[in-house]
Amino acid sequence: MEKIAVTGIGVVSPSGIGKRQFWANIKSGRSFIKQITRFDASKYPSHIAGQIDDLEKYSHISERLLKKIDPFSHMALVASELALQDAGIEIKNEDPNLVGIFLGNAIGGWLYAETELRDLYLEGREGVSPYMASAWFPAAPQGQVSIYYGIKGFSKTVVSDRASSLMALGYARKVLYKNKLNMILAGGMEAPVTPYALLCCNTYGALSTHNEDPQVAYRPFDQGRSGFVIGEGSGIVVLENIQRAKDRGANILGFISGYGTSCDGADRINPASDGKELARAINMALNDAKARPEDIGYISLDGLAVDLWDNSEIKALEIVFGNSLKDIPVSCPKSMFGNLLGASGALDMIIALLSMEHSLVAPTLNLDTPVLKGINYVAKQAREYKVNKSLIISRGRGGINSALVIEKP
Amino acid sequence: MKDKVKEVLANLLKVKIEELKDDVSLQNSIGVDSTEMVESVIALEKSFGVKLNTKEITKNSTINDIANNIQSKLAK
Repeated sequence: MEKIAVTGIGVVSPSGIGKRQFWANIKSGRSFIKQITRFDASKYPSHIAGQIDDLEKYSHISERLLKKIDPFSHMALVASELALQDAGIEIKNEDPNLVGIFLGNAIGGWLYAETELRDLYLEGREGVSPYMASAWFPAAPQGQVSIYYGIKGFSKTVVSDRASSLMALGYARKVLYKNKLNMILAGGMEAPVTPYALLCCNTYGALSTHNEDPQVAYRPFDQGRSGFVIGEGSGIVVLENIQRAKDRGANILGFISGYGTSCDGADRINPASDGKELARAINMALNDAKARPEDIGYISLDGLAVDLWDNSEIKALEIVFGNSLKDIPVSCPKSMFGNLLGASGALDMIIALLSMEHSLVAPTLNLDTPVLKGINYVAKQAREYKVNKSLIISRGRGGINSALVIEKP
Repeated sequence: MKDKVKEVLANLLKVKIEELKDDVSLQNSIGVDSTEMVESVIALEKSFGVKLNTKEITKNSTINDIANNIQSKLAK
């Protein structure tokens, strides 16, 4: 299948809003995990997160619209605008029927939902905002982005737990390849730092409870790992066919060249311990990209910081890459700002694109003593590598595997 | 009455009071949508203590229409 060009990046994250600020923080290896301050979370077993406190400063959205939408739609709207600006695209000059939106989300807009549910029980039916119906569900950001820009082309929202946004990117590429659209806004958004969403994440049991020292809590692949930390935000990119991107003189930031997905079929929550199905998804992505394992110069890890998840991920890499694995730099940069669940894959891809552009692989934080030896972890500090092809891995509960291959232009 | 109607709607819908015109429909002045109309009717009912009819107060109503409708209900 043909490669698809990435021509614009929009990022809204705890590590910064806009790609310049984001990359400056990512390459410096700074942690943005903090105690939750938005509400009193002190009684939750895990009450730390990557939070965005200054979205309003960067927002172009009116108060009139803000009262109708959940923060996850707000983040998607800001990320979309940043992506379009970065790509130098004016939507009003596009044929709206040939522009699409492919976004991933795992849990929906819970701040809006839980606030209105409270009002339902306190005040009755009339206490509930009529916008509730259109604000909370996972496809709401797709709808809001389409309304805001008048986008009318084929669009989709993928709900596949933490793998959602990487899948959305994979499907967006397929749609562009079939020439169904001229361009797509693709990525994901998640806003889990709310009382009810945080409760659900805690109940899942995989969150780190290392609350007293938030910056060292998220420790993927480390012997001292104790689970992951949630984060909020959105990563959205502009995708176009290469010819169109070249014809309009776009700055091509990278190509998406391969995608693969599989299911473990093993457990309703946990992945299979053997990593075989994840390995199959990675091989599908490599074959799709016409790449050999030795062509891969960087691997972005899912890194849940849970024994079974981390170990099975490494097993999958060993199956695919064998002895050459020890030579490939691997890292899990989300340890700096939290796991954005359904938006995590999009952020991982954006970091991999920026890493290739700057020949600097972003680090995994807090990886003091790797559980499994003999792997080329980039830990604590960014490291210089010239990378032409990267592999991104994103996984979801119930054994959902997805893998994406991207290339330097 | 008209000023209070404007104040309720401006606060609720987060629009400027000047955007609400006495003799221009809500549709044409601020591009109100159907969900905003549901919300507006509920807010006006609460503010004025009257039961309003959503068939009488619509997107095509002007501020004058709404104020007159409420006035007539209050007079009964």
